Order: sequence, then C-alpha cells, then structure tokens
Amino acid sequence: MSTIPHDHAGDDHAHDDHAHHPSGIMRWITTTNHKDIGTLYLLFSLTMFFVGGVMALTIRTELFHPGLQIVHPEFFNSLTTLHGLIMIFGAIMPAAVGFANWQIPMMIGAPDMAFARMNNWSFWLLPPAAIMLVGSFFVPGGAFAGGWTLYPPLSVQAPIGMDLTIFAVHIMGASSIMGSINIITTILNLRAPGMTMMKMPLFVWGWLITAYLLIAVMPVLAGSVTMLLTDRHFGTSFFNAAGGGDPVLFQHVFWFFGHPEVYIMILPAFGIVSEIIPTFSRKPLFGFASMVYAMSSIAILSFIVWAHHMFTVGMPAAGLLFFMYATMLIAVPTGVKVFNWLATMWRGSMSFETPMLFAVGFLFLFTMGGFTGLVLAITPVDIQLQDTYYVVAHFHYVLVAGSLFAFFGGAYYWLPKWTGTMYDERLGKWHFWCAMITFNVTFFPMHFLGLAGMPRRIPDYATQFTDWNMVATVGAFGFGLSQLIFVYALIKCIRGDGAKAPAKPWEGADTLEWTLPSPAPYHTFETPPVVK
Amino acid sequence: MATQAQQRNADPRVRRANVRTAVILATIALVFFVGIIFAKYVGDASTGMTVLGAAVLLFLVLAIGRNLISGRRR
Repeated sequence: MSTIPHDHAGDDHAHDDHAHHPSGIMRWITTTNHKDIGTLYLLFSLTMFFVGGVMALTIRTELFHPGLQIVHPEFFNSLTTLHGLIMIFGAIMPAAVGFANWQIPMMIGAPDMAFARMNNWSFWLLPPAAIMLVGSFFVPGGAFAGGWTLYPPLSVQAPIGMDLTIFAVHIMGASSIMGSINIITTILNLRAPGMTMMKMPLFVWGWLITAYLLIAVMPVLAGSVTMLLTDRHFGTSFFNAAGGGDPVLFQHVFWFFGHPEVYIMILPAFGIVSEIIPTFSRKPLFGFASMVYAMSSIAILSFIVWAHHMFTVGMPAAGLLFFMYATMLIAVPTGVKVFNWLATMWRGSMSFETPMLFAVGFLFLFTMGGFTGLVLAITPVDIQLQDTYYVVAHFHYVLVAGSLFAFFGGAYYWLPKWTGTMYDERLGKWHFWCAMITFNVTFFPMHFLGLAGMPRRIPDYATQFTDWNMVATVGAFGFGLSQLIFVYALIKCIRGDGAKAPAKPWEGADTLEWTLPSPAPYHTFETPPVVK
Repeated sequence: MATQAQQRNADPRVRRANVRTAVILATIALVFFVGIIFAKYVGDASTGMTVLGAAVLLFLVLAIGRNLISGRRR
C-alpha cells in the first residue's frame, strides 16, 4: 500500500478549476477529463440501473400470483432477457468503469487517463448502444426473448430485435475494450515516481486484472455474436443445425466469455471493499500480497471453468469432473480474500459508517452467494438445479449483494471527495438497512423455490410456489424503493446540502486521493507526487 | 495554454510507451476476435487451441520480454 509523503490538500488549485474547458452541455460532450467522464459513467449506470430495475419489478409483479396477469409471455421473456443484458452491460460494468475513471488516476498520482480522447469516445459509445438495446422493444417482433445468453437456435431465428441486440453488444464490447486499454496503459505507464506495482492500492490492482480479463474475453463475445449475425443474414452455419452447425458450440464460446465476465463484475468490487475495510478498521489490510495473488488466481481460473454453466448439454464424464473440480478450486483464492478481510477487521478499531456497513453487508451476502456457487459446482446437484430459481438466487447474491453493494459502499466512501460535501449519514444508514433487509426478502426465498423445482424464465407457475413468490415480489418492491433513498442522498450531496467535507474525512484512509482537497480539483497531480 | 498535466502526458517518451502498450493490447484483442471466428470457420478443434495458445504465448513473450528489457535498463 502506498504511503503519503506530501499533503496536496492545501495546494491552491483554484486557478485551474474552471479553466480550459467549455461549460454547459458541451462540457460533458467534449470532455476529456477523467473526473467528468467518471461522473458520466456513474450517472449513465444509475439510469440504466433504474431502467433494468423497472423491468425487474414488472417481472416480479407478473410473478406475484400464478396465472397470466399483466404481460404476454413473449413480452415477459423479453423483459427477463433485457433485464439481464441491461444490468450487466448497462449498469454494473459502466459503474465499475466510472469508479475506475474517477479513482485510478487519483490513486496512482497520474494527471489523467493515458488516452483522454479515447476515454471520451469509450463513454459516448454507450448511450447509442443502450438506446438500441431498449429500442428493440419497439421494432416488429419486439425485443429478443431467448435469455441474455443469446443461445441459438432462438437467436438465429428471432426477428429484427435480435440484430439490434447484437449491434448493441458489439458497441458495448468495443467501449469496454477501449476502456480496458486505457486503464492498463494508465496503470502501467503513468504511476507516480516510487509507486511500484506492490504499492498500488488494491482497487487499482483489481481493475488492472479486470482490464486484462476484458481484453481477453470481450473479443470472444464479439466474435460469437458476429457469427450469430452471419448465420442470420449471410448464409453461414456456425451455429445453425439445419446447415450442419452446432448450437452447443455457441454455448461453449459464450461461456468462455461469460464466466470471466462474472469476475469482471466482481473484481472491481473486491478492490473497493479492500479499500473500505482497512479504513474503517483503522488497520492496514491483512495480507496485501496474498490479496493480489488471490485476485490473479481467480482471474486465471475463471478461464477454465466455463462449462459448469452447461453441465446438462452432454459432456464426457472426464469433462464434467474437470469442470466441477476446477470450479471448486476457485473457492480457495476466494476464501483467502474473505479470510484476509476478516483478519483486517479482527481487533481493529472498527466503526460502522455507511461505506463500512455496505462492505460488511457485501462480505456476508457475497460469501453466501459463494457457498451456493459451491453447491451448484457439484455436477449431479447442478443437473437437478439447472435453470431453476436456485440459480437465480445464487447469481443475485453474487452480483447484487456482491457488486452492487460494494459499489454503493464505494459511492458513499468517495462521495465526499467527489462532491466536497459529506453525505447524510442517517440517509445512508436507512439506505443500507432497507436494502439489506429487502434484498434478502426478495432473493432468499428463491432458494426454496429453486429447490422445490420452480423453473426460471416463466411467467406462470404451479400454485404450490405462490407463497414464496408473493414474499419475493413484496421484497423486490421494497428493494426498488430503497434505492430512492440513495438517489435522494446523492442529490443532497451534489447540491452541497450537507457538511463541508475535509480533505480526508476518514481517519484510517491512506491512499493518494485523500491528499487532495475536497472536492478534488478539476486537474490533479500536475506535479507528480513522490511515493515512498 | 496547455496545463502541466497535458504537458506530462505529452512527453514523447511517455506517449511512445502509451501507444506501444495500447497497440500490444489491441493486437491481443484482435487476435482473439479474428481467431475465434477463424477457428469456428475451419471447424477443427485443434485450430481453436492453436489460436488460443498462440495468443497466450505471444502475450507472455511480449509481457516477459518488456519486463526483462525494462529491468536491464534499470
């Protein structure tokens, strides 16, 4: 971890705060400043989070009671598909890139990202892609309804909405690859003098590994959806069984991307939590080097476990065993991380401000999601639970209580630095407890539903599943409404309605961004800090 | 007027290093993108393995090579 040799908080940055950039809407369209672009990413992801959230609430409303109530089955399936795509590509990933844009240059003492114009371009590719994705609801045939995994033959036969989805995935993939190139280059080439790799904060490490994962797997996704496109329109038969192609091949290629994608969403969250826990435990992180090696191991192992998503398609017994054991192996570095976080808290002078509450919430719920992941790794069990609500519960524990809770924690942690105003602690705590309780009310019963055999992606179900579905729907509305508390707290902060934030509002924080005044000036580290 | 931050990014050595890193990363992405389509087009599983292996080896050679060269300079 880095040490701070020089306090920049007292430096006069006022001269450049508003200089050299246009104002109004053009500031945001033409900006090349990493902080502006970080803000754009975060606001975009929050917007898409609510778009995907409204879809989730429509799904839950339909499932409140057995029978068909408010939507047609085809539209229901479009909602589940788009909910997944929007939450992954529109909400979680852009949020992580938003954090990276804001924090990485400030944490490594760089003046900006390495390729500032490409950074602007990376962001502005996203809104058209999102419009295409959501706009596919309004074209003939509606949005794709075959699930976010885009499996053929449905994706080969689907109407024009599928083409919009393919193009949207292409554009978002291009944006991610450009963003990753930028992040890796910034981290490798623009670190402050003295900041060796092992002195980098863990958030930066998490993102470095994530960016390598993105570079490796995003082109694979792009390649596979390109092949889908040529199957649909140019007479090829990569995945079209009628022409000699193999639909199962798509699943292999897709999950070669899809499983590392899970870690692409969770590693930045690991990084955020690794910043928050030592700060509020007032102790250095336990086992820094082992955390780095654990994240690297998780990233490498993520490439050799993809077929655990498709145990039921038919594989040789040796293949099933290999993917089962390889999947279980990921529990080892993950366990190292959980152990280190707990050891950091052990005998620390802990306090439970909102960021720490979200970090501890993350730790508890992500570990539960990890355990259900181990259950699903066991091949014979997975064959029983494949495509049931148990799987839905598992990945929501990992991605909502994992990534999302960590991002909320990170937002509260760095909001004072970003806005110069302390967030309302009372609102933050209300947000956490409402989200924590309603999240569990929503998703814990899904374990029971899945174990009882309720399949996912259906608008109607047998009556014995009614009670837990009702509970889950009530919880979902509570969870959705609790996010409005966050929006209110955020607006208060942005408007400056709160106590003025000092340069270092958290006494245990020791990374470079806390040497800057709050709010962080428009240009930072023009003179590189020296890290000892 | 350029700020000091812009000047620091405009240092020709830093710019060259940035572009070199970006080109290597973009090449890896391109190899994966073209490789996966080519492998499926040929239809032979060994082609896919060769592409994947070549990409990984290329990456390791470049990464280790760069590290060794920069270590020798230090």
